[in-house]
Amino acid sequence: MNRDEAKQILLLYRPGTADAEDPEVAAALALAKDDPELSRWLAEHNARQTALREKFRQIPVLAGLKEQIISEQAAKSRAASHRNRIVGVAAVAAVLISLLVLAHFFLPFGGNSNGGLASTLDHYKSQMTAATSSGYSMDLLSSDAGKVQAYLAGKQAPADYVLPAGMQKVAMMGCAAKTWQNSKAAMICFRTGKPLPHDQIGDLWLFVVDRTAVKDAPDSSAPQFAKVNGLMTATWTQGGKLYLLSTDGDESDIKKFL
Amino acid sequence: MAQSVDFENLVSSYYGTLYQFALSLTRDEAEACDLTQETFCIWAAKGHQLRDVSKVKTWLFTTLHREFLGSRRRQTRFPHMELEHASAELPAVSPATIYQLDSEQLLEAVGQLDETYRAAIMLFYLQDYSYNEIAEILGIPLGTVKSRLTRGLEKLHHLMTNIQTPPPS
Repeated sequence: MNRDEAKQILLLYRPGTADAEDPEVAAALALAKDDPELSRWLAEHNARQTALREKFRQIPVLAGLKEQIISEQAAKSRAASHRNRIVGVAAVAAVLISLLVLAHFFLPFGGNSNGGLASTLDHYKSQMTAATSSGYSMDLLSSDAGKVQAYLAGKQAPADYVLPAGMQKVAMMGCAAKTWQNSKAAMICFRTGKPLPHDQIGDLWLFVVDRTAVKDAPDSSAPQFAKVNGLMTATWTQGGKLYLLSTDGDESDIKKFL
Repeated sequence: MAQSVDFENLVSSYYGTLYQFALSLTRDEAEACDLTQETFCIWAAKGHQLRDVSKVKTWLFTTLHREFLGSRRRQTRFPHMELEHASAELPAVSPATIYQLDSEQLLEAVGQLDETYRAAIMLFYLQDYSYNEIAEILGIPLGTVKSRLTRGLEKLHHLMTNIQTPPPS
């Protein structure tokens, strides 16, 4: 390395910094120790660099800038915190609305009957036949058809139902008024005569509801048969009412009561 | 994690040098204030993403420089020109002359430098950044940093020799 090459390298050298750790700079600095002219040049260069560094660092900073930055950031944080609270409340509200919507569609009784899965025929059959499983009770225990009809009428449940010919001689055991969506459904319990456990009231159930309460209720008076909740069911419409009959057994068993 | 960096301490530590850097870039006090403030706003929003706390200072200068470039609507980076023929013999400006300059004169001289050189020179003197750190902040190769510094210093010394300074008292 000659003097000119050393000057070229030292041009960007800043005294008091890590620049001296660079091997090339270190070699140039070593050369300057043995070269009086280079040493003088370096001394002048170092003084210039130091002066420049000091001058640059003396550039005045606008008064109040620090306080302005801190206070504006604090204001932004407060605004963000307020925004987050609003978003939180909105999220909770959205969850509640979602739950209400879900309840509207999936809760079995008491909901709105306007549209949705909850008011379909399948759902109606499922809910009504489920009501005949263990634990159900009759609102009125009576074999008197007149009393049963009077009770149901008093509860705003369909009372002017027409029993199929096959049921005329089946023993009536009682009735209950059920709520289906916003409508009342009549549940009439019969006993076919088969041996039953001592705590079972009946084994044949007829449900009657206004046809408009079930979204896809059949138009026909011809019974449709289907197994629902382990029971055989027959469904038909007559006189603006939807009839659902259910019992144990198969299609031939239930047809005996139609 | 950078999350542990206290915002007020951070501002206290770096707002001054960031402002000086911004002022040298923009040559406008209000714009420099905005740029400095915006840099800290970005830190407040995104600083937690920085994993190495020791890189906070570099992150701040890098962000400020990017914001400056963005504010100038520059779609492309500066060309990475390798400047050759930098002279080892800088124009003879004495340390005494430099000491006689006031800040406005110095800023005036720096302001006459092309932006290409200005940022590198300021990082070089304000924070004693190494060439590698300047390269990282400006997003340019190491060789380009050295070229810009050499050429920028040469021009700065030329500009300072032309400044009329009051005679020493």
